[in-house]
Amino acid sequence: MNQDFQISFEAIDGSHVGDGGIEHGALLSRLCEAMFYEDPDQLASVRDDVIEVAGAKVLVDAVAVSANFYMMTRIADATGTPLDAGTVEPSVEIRELVGVNNFTSRREAQA
Amino acid sequence: MAVYATELPIRPDLDASHSEIASRWATTGSWWSGAERIAIVGEVRQARDGDDLAPWESPSQVDGLITDNHLLPTAAIDAIWRITNHPGTLTADWHASIISRGINPEAYVELVGVVAQANAVDRFADALNLARVDLPEPSSAEPQRLADKSVVVSSHWVPTAQVKGPNVIKALSAVPFEVDSMSLLSSAQYLQLGDLLADLVSDQNSLTRMQVEVIAARTSKLNECFY
Repeated sequence: MNQDFQISFEAIDGSHVGDGGIEHGALLSRLCEAMFYEDPDQLASVRDDVIEVAGAKVLVDAVAVSANFYMMTRIADATGTPLDAGTVEPSVEIRELVGVNNFTSRREAQA
Repeated sequence: MAVYATELPIRPDLDASHSEIASRWATTGSWWSGAERIAIVGEVRQARDGDDLAPWESPSQVDGLITDNHLLPTAAIDAIWRITNHPGTLTADWHASIISRGINPEAYVELVGVVAQANAVDRFADALNLARVDLPEPSSAEPQRLADKSVVVSSHWVPTAQVKGPNVIKALSAVPFEVDSMSLLSSAQYLQLGDLLADLVSDQNSLTRMQVEVIAARTSKLNECFY
Protein backbone atom coordinates (compact mmCIF):
# COMPACT_ATOMS: atom_id res chain seq x y z
CA MET A 1 0.00 0.00 0.00
CA ASN A 2 1.48 3.31 -1.07
CA GLN A 3 0.53 6.24 1.12
CA ASP A 4 1.69 9.77 0.40
CA PHE A 5 0.42 11.19 3.65
CA GLN A 6 0.99 10.69 7.34
CA ILE A 7 -1.51 9.87 9.99
CA SER A 8 -1.22 9.79 13.76
CA PHE A 9 -3.33 8.59 16.66
CA GLU A 10 -4.36 12.10 17.73
CA ALA A 11 -8.03 11.79 16.85
CA ILE A 12 -8.30 8.55 18.81
CA ASP A 13 -6.92 10.29 21.87
CA GLY A 14 -9.62 12.94 21.82
CA SER A 15 -11.13 15.73 19.74
CA HIS A 16 -9.05 18.36 21.52
CA VAL A 17 -5.80 17.01 20.10
CA GLY A 18 -6.27 17.36 16.36
CA ASP A 19 -7.25 15.63 13.14
CA GLY A 20 -4.29 13.26 13.12
CA GLY A 21 -3.98 13.67 9.37
CA ILE A 22 -7.50 12.35 8.79
CA GLU A 23 -10.11 14.51 7.11
CA HIS A 24 -12.48 15.87 9.80
CA GLY A 25 -10.70 13.63 12.32
CA ALA A 26 -11.24 15.95 15.30
CA LEU A 27 -14.85 16.62 14.37
CA LEU A 28 -15.62 12.91 14.05
CA SER A 29 -13.91 12.32 17.37
CA ARG A 30 -16.11 15.04 18.90
CA LEU A 31 -19.17 13.27 17.49
CA CYS A 32 -18.05 10.03 19.18
CA GLU A 33 -17.60 11.87 22.48
CA ALA A 34 -21.06 13.45 22.25
CA MET A 35 -22.60 10.04 21.56
CA PHE A 36 -20.81 8.57 24.56
CA TYR A 37 -21.67 11.30 27.05
CA GLU A 38 -25.20 11.72 25.66
CA ASP A 39 -25.52 15.41 26.43
CA PRO A 40 -28.43 16.57 24.22
CA ASP A 41 -27.01 20.05 23.61
CA GLN A 42 -23.56 18.71 22.79
CA LEU A 43 -25.10 16.16 20.43
CA ALA A 44 -27.25 18.74 18.66
CA SER A 45 -24.30 21.05 18.25
CA VAL A 46 -21.96 18.44 16.79
CA ARG A 47 -24.68 17.06 14.49
CA ASP A 48 -25.09 20.56 13.03
CA ASP A 49 -21.35 20.95 12.66
CA VAL A 50 -20.90 17.61 10.89
CA ILE A 51 -23.75 18.36 8.48
CA GLU A 52 -22.34 21.81 7.73
CA VAL A 53 -18.75 20.68 7.24
CA ALA A 54 -19.07 17.16 5.84
CA GLY A 55 -22.72 16.59 4.96
CA ALA A 56 -25.69 14.64 6.28
CA LYS A 57 -24.57 11.35 4.74
CA VAL A 58 -21.32 11.54 6.66
CA LEU A 59 -23.25 12.25 9.85
CA VAL A 60 -25.46 9.18 9.42
CA ASP A 61 -22.63 6.87 8.42
CA ALA A 62 -20.36 8.09 11.21
CA VAL A 63 -23.07 7.62 13.82
CA ALA A 64 -23.67 4.11 12.45
CA VAL A 65 -19.99 3.18 12.76
CA SER A 66 -19.73 4.52 16.28
CA ALA A 67 -22.97 2.78 17.30
CA ASN A 68 -21.59 -0.49 15.97
CA PHE A 69 -18.80 -0.31 18.50
CA TYR A 70 -21.29 -0.15 21.36
CA MET A 71 -22.06 -3.67 20.20
CA MET A 72 -18.54 -4.92 19.55
CA THR A 73 -17.07 -3.57 22.80
CA ARG A 74 -19.83 -5.22 24.84
CA ILE A 75 -19.38 -8.54 23.06
CA ALA A 76 -15.62 -8.44 23.65
CA ASP A 77 -15.80 -7.34 27.28
CA ALA A 78 -18.74 -9.49 28.36
CA THR A 79 -17.29 -12.70 26.94
CA GLY A 80 -13.68 -12.31 28.07
CA THR A 81 -12.45 -12.11 24.51
CA PRO A 82 -8.65 -12.36 24.49
CA LEU A 83 -6.40 -10.48 22.09
CA ASP A 84 -5.91 -12.41 18.88
CA ALA A 85 -2.78 -14.46 18.48
CA GLY A 86 -0.30 -12.50 16.45
CA THR A 87 -1.59 -9.10 17.51
CA VAL A 88 -0.20 -8.95 21.05
CA GLU A 89 3.41 -8.08 20.21
CA PRO A 90 2.78 -5.92 17.10
CA SER A 91 0.25 -3.77 18.98
CA VAL A 92 2.44 -2.95 21.99
CA GLU A 93 3.49 0.44 20.66
CA ILE A 94 0.03 1.35 19.38
CA ARG A 95 -1.57 0.43 22.71
CA GLU A 96 0.88 2.68 24.49
CA LEU A 97 0.27 5.54 22.06
CA VAL A 98 -3.51 5.44 22.28
CA GLY A 99 -3.42 5.01 26.05
CA VAL A 100 -5.45 1.86 26.67
CA ASN A 101 -3.03 0.04 28.94
CA ASN A 102 -4.68 1.20 32.15
CA PHE A 103 -8.10 -0.21 31.27
CA THR A 104 -9.59 -2.91 33.49
CA SER A 105 -10.38 -4.84 30.33
CA ARG A 106 -6.65 -5.07 29.57
CA ARG A 107 -6.16 -7.54 32.40
CA GLU A 108 -9.01 -9.63 31.11
CA ALA A 109 -8.08 -9.50 27.42
CA GLN A 110 -4.53 -10.59 28.14
CA ALA A 111 -5.37 -13.27 30.67
CA MET B 1 -41.82 0.63 5.37
CA ALA B 2 -38.80 2.47 6.76
CA VAL B 3 -37.99 2.03 10.43
CA TYR B 4 -36.93 5.64 10.86
CA ALA B 5 -39.14 8.58 9.92
CA THR B 6 -36.61 11.31 9.19
CA GLU B 7 -35.27 13.59 6.51
CA LEU B 8 -31.76 12.38 7.25
CA PRO B 9 -30.31 10.26 4.41
CA ILE B 10 -30.33 6.90 6.16
CA ARG B 11 -29.26 4.28 3.63
CA PRO B 12 -32.00 1.75 2.84
CA ASP B 13 -29.72 -1.16 3.71
CA LEU B 14 -28.96 0.38 7.10
CA ASP B 15 -32.64 1.02 7.83
CA ALA B 16 -33.50 -2.52 6.70
CA SER B 17 -30.82 -4.03 8.94
CA HIS B 18 -32.36 -2.41 12.02
CA SER B 19 -35.78 -3.67 10.99
CA GLU B 20 -34.37 -7.17 10.57
CA ILE B 21 -32.58 -7.05 13.92
CA ALA B 22 -35.79 -6.02 15.68
CA SER B 23 -37.53 -9.01 14.09
CA ARG B 24 -34.73 -11.28 15.24
CA TRP B 25 -35.08 -9.99 18.80
CA ALA B 26 -38.69 -11.16 18.77
CA THR B 27 -37.81 -14.60 17.42
CA THR B 28 -37.56 -17.61 19.69
CA GLY B 29 -33.91 -18.06 20.52
CA SER B 30 -31.89 -21.11 21.44
CA TRP B 31 -32.25 -20.38 25.17
CA TRP B 32 -34.63 -17.45 25.60
CA SER B 33 -38.19 -17.14 24.31
CA GLY B 34 -39.22 -14.30 22.03
CA ALA B 35 -40.91 -12.58 24.97
CA GLU B 36 -37.76 -12.94 27.08
CA ARG B 37 -35.57 -11.61 24.28
CA ILE B 38 -37.84 -8.58 23.90
CA ALA B 39 -37.68 -8.18 27.69
CA ILE B 40 -33.88 -8.18 27.43
CA VAL B 41 -34.04 -5.28 24.97
CA GLY B 42 -36.52 -3.53 27.23
CA GLU B 43 -34.14 -3.92 30.15
CA VAL B 44 -31.29 -2.44 28.11
CA ARG B 45 -33.51 0.60 27.62
CA GLN B 46 -34.28 0.71 31.36
CA ALA B 47 -30.58 0.56 32.14
CA ARG B 48 -29.73 3.37 29.73
CA ASP B 49 -32.62 5.62 30.63
CA GLY B 50 -32.77 5.00 34.37
CA ASP B 51 -30.75 6.33 37.26
CA ASP B 52 -27.03 5.73 36.98
CA LEU B 53 -25.81 2.86 39.13
CA ALA B 54 -22.17 2.47 40.03
CA PRO B 55 -20.53 -0.68 38.60
CA TRP B 56 -20.67 -2.39 41.98
CA GLU B 57 -24.39 -1.69 42.39
CA SER B 58 -26.91 -4.12 40.91
CA PRO B 59 -30.52 -3.26 40.07
CA SER B 60 -31.61 -6.30 42.08
CA GLN B 61 -30.18 -4.63 45.18
CA VAL B 62 -32.15 -1.41 44.66
CA ASP B 63 -35.73 -1.37 45.89
CA GLY B 64 -38.25 -0.82 43.15
CA LEU B 65 -35.97 -1.14 40.14
CA ILE B 66 -37.17 -4.64 39.22
CA THR B 67 -40.85 -5.49 39.18
CA ASP B 68 -41.95 -8.56 41.14
CA ASN B 69 -43.35 -10.34 38.09
CA HIS B 70 -40.40 -9.64 35.75
CA LEU B 71 -40.01 -12.16 32.96
CA LEU B 72 -36.24 -12.40 33.42
CA PRO B 73 -34.24 -13.83 36.34
CA THR B 74 -32.59 -11.18 38.49
CA ALA B 75 -29.12 -12.43 37.56
CA ALA B 76 -29.93 -11.74 33.89
CA ILE B 77 -31.21 -8.26 34.72
CA ASP B 78 -28.10 -7.47 36.75
CA ALA B 79 -25.95 -8.68 33.83
CA ILE B 80 -27.89 -6.58 31.32
CA TRP B 81 -27.40 -3.38 33.36
CA ARG B 82 -23.71 -4.00 33.96
CA ILE B 83 -22.94 -4.92 30.34
CA THR B 84 -24.92 -1.92 29.11
CA ASN B 85 -23.55 0.75 31.42
CA HIS B 86 -20.15 -0.47 32.58
CA PRO B 87 -18.70 -2.89 29.99
CA GLY B 88 -15.13 -1.82 30.69
CA THR B 89 -15.38 -3.03 34.30
CA LEU B 90 -16.32 -6.64 33.57
CA THR B 91 -14.08 -9.34 34.96
CA ALA B 92 -13.90 -13.13 34.91
CA ASP B 93 -15.03 -13.18 38.55
CA TRP B 94 -18.07 -11.09 37.71
CA HIS B 95 -18.97 -13.44 34.85
CA ALA B 96 -18.56 -16.44 37.14
CA SER B 97 -20.85 -14.83 39.71
CA ILE B 98 -23.61 -14.38 37.12
CA ILE B 99 -23.30 -18.00 35.97
CA SER B 100 -23.30 -19.21 39.58
CA ARG B 101 -26.71 -17.57 40.04
CA GLY B 102 -28.25 -20.03 37.60
CA ILE B 103 -27.72 -18.56 34.15
CA ASN B 104 -26.78 -21.29 31.69
CA PRO B 105 -23.42 -20.38 30.06
CA GLU B 106 -24.84 -20.66 26.54
CA ALA B 107 -27.93 -18.69 27.53
CA TYR B 108 -25.55 -16.00 28.80
CA VAL B 109 -23.93 -15.89 25.34
CA GLU B 110 -27.31 -15.36 23.71
CA LEU B 111 -28.12 -12.63 26.24
CA VAL B 112 -24.83 -10.85 25.50
CA GLY B 113 -25.63 -10.89 21.79
CA VAL B 114 -29.06 -9.32 22.24
CA VAL B 115 -27.81 -6.77 24.79
CA ALA B 116 -24.95 -5.72 22.53
CA GLN B 117 -27.21 -5.35 19.49
CA ALA B 118 -29.76 -3.31 21.43
CA ASN B 119 -27.03 -0.98 22.62
CA ALA B 120 -25.90 -0.41 19.03
CA VAL B 121 -29.33 0.07 17.48
CA ASP B 122 -30.64 2.38 20.20
CA ARG B 123 -27.42 4.40 20.38
CA PHE B 124 -27.78 5.07 16.64
CA ALA B 125 -31.34 6.36 17.03
CA ASP B 126 -30.55 8.40 20.13
CA ALA B 127 -27.54 10.09 18.54
CA LEU B 128 -29.62 11.22 15.58
CA ASN B 129 -32.56 12.24 17.82
CA LEU B 130 -34.82 9.62 16.20
CA ALA B 131 -37.49 7.45 17.77
CA ARG B 132 -36.03 4.06 18.73
CA VAL B 133 -37.17 1.05 16.73
CA ASP B 134 -40.50 -0.38 17.81
CA LEU B 135 -40.32 -3.77 19.46
CA PRO B 136 -42.33 -6.37 17.54
CA GLU B 137 -44.72 -8.89 19.01
CA PRO B 138 -42.64 -11.83 20.19
CA SER B 139 -42.88 -15.34 18.86
CA SER B 140 -44.84 -17.63 21.16
CA ALA B 141 -42.75 -20.75 20.49
CA GLU B 142 -40.65 -22.06 23.36
CA PRO B 143 -36.86 -22.32 22.98
CA GLN B 144 -35.36 -25.80 22.81
CA ARG B 145 -32.63 -25.05 25.36
CA LEU B 146 -30.43 -27.86 24.06
CA ALA B 147 -26.83 -27.79 25.21
CA ASP B 148 -24.29 -28.16 22.41
CA LYS B 149 -21.59 -30.56 23.59
CA SER B 150 -19.22 -29.33 20.88
CA VAL B 151 -18.86 -25.88 22.46
CA VAL B 152 -16.37 -25.63 25.28
CA VAL B 153 -14.68 -23.00 27.39
CA SER B 154 -11.20 -22.63 25.94
CA SER B 155 -10.06 -19.14 24.98
CA HIS B 156 -12.92 -16.98 26.31
CA TRP B 157 -14.88 -16.96 29.60
CA VAL B 158 -17.81 -18.30 27.62
CA PRO B 159 -18.06 -21.58 25.71
CA THR B 160 -17.14 -21.23 22.04
CA ALA B 161 -17.17 -23.41 18.95
CA GLN B 162 -14.10 -24.37 16.98
CA VAL B 163 -14.29 -21.59 14.39
CA LYS B 164 -11.64 -19.54 12.63
CA GLY B 165 -11.43 -15.77 12.59
CA PRO B 166 -10.93 -12.95 15.08
CA ASN B 167 -11.66 -13.83 18.69
CA VAL B 168 -14.46 -11.25 18.90
CA ILE B 169 -16.28 -13.09 16.11
CA LYS B 170 -15.69 -16.38 17.90
CA ALA B 171 -17.11 -14.94 21.14
CA LEU B 172 -20.77 -15.65 20.31
CA SER B 173 -20.13 -18.84 18.35
CA ALA B 174 -21.98 -21.00 20.90
CA VAL B 175 -25.15 -19.37 19.56
CA PRO B 176 -24.75 -19.08 15.75
CA PHE B 177 -27.98 -17.07 15.41
CA GLU B 178 -26.34 -14.24 17.37
CA VAL B 179 -23.20 -14.40 15.24
CA ASP B 180 -25.44 -13.90 12.21
CA SER B 181 -27.18 -10.94 13.87
CA MET B 182 -23.83 -9.37 14.74
CA SER B 183 -22.66 -9.82 11.14
CA LEU B 184 -25.88 -8.36 9.80
CA LEU B 185 -25.51 -5.21 11.89
CA SER B 186 -21.78 -4.85 11.35
CA SER B 187 -22.16 -5.15 7.59
CA ALA B 188 -24.62 -2.26 7.54
CA GLN B 189 -23.06 -0.06 10.23
CA TYR B 190 -19.34 -0.76 9.85
CA LEU B 191 -18.12 -3.06 7.11
CA GLN B 192 -18.38 -6.62 5.93
CA LEU B 193 -16.52 -8.67 8.51
CA GLY B 194 -14.76 -10.51 5.68
CA ASP B 195 -13.29 -7.18 4.56
CA LEU B 196 -11.91 -6.40 8.01
CA LEU B 197 -8.34 -7.15 7.04
CA ALA B 198 -8.74 -8.07 3.38
CA ASP B 199 -9.45 -4.52 2.23
CA LEU B 200 -7.88 -1.72 4.22
CA VAL B 201 -8.30 1.12 1.75
CA SER B 202 -11.76 1.18 0.14
CA ASP B 203 -14.21 3.87 1.18
CA GLN B 204 -17.20 2.74 3.22
CA ASN B 205 -20.27 4.58 1.98
CA SER B 206 -19.58 8.30 2.61
CA LEU B 207 -16.53 7.70 4.83
CA THR B 208 -12.92 6.87 4.03
CA ARG B 209 -11.61 3.69 5.62
CA MET B 210 -9.36 5.78 7.84
CA GLN B 211 -12.29 7.86 9.06
CA VAL B 212 -14.14 4.62 9.80
CA GLU B 213 -11.24 3.28 11.84
CA VAL B 214 -10.77 6.53 13.77
CA ILE B 215 -14.44 6.46 14.75
CA ALA B 216 -14.18 2.78 15.70
CA ALA B 217 -11.04 3.30 17.76
CA ARG B 218 -12.27 6.48 19.47
CA THR B 219 -15.55 4.80 20.41
CA SER B 220 -13.76 1.69 21.70
CA LYS B 221 -11.47 3.86 23.79
CA LEU B 222 -14.36 5.84 25.26
CA ASN B 223 -15.92 2.52 26.23
CA GLU B 224 -12.58 1.50 27.78
CA CYS B 225 -12.38 -1.63 25.65
CA PHE B 226 -8.85 -2.98 25.50
CA TYR B 227 -9.60 -5.59 22.83
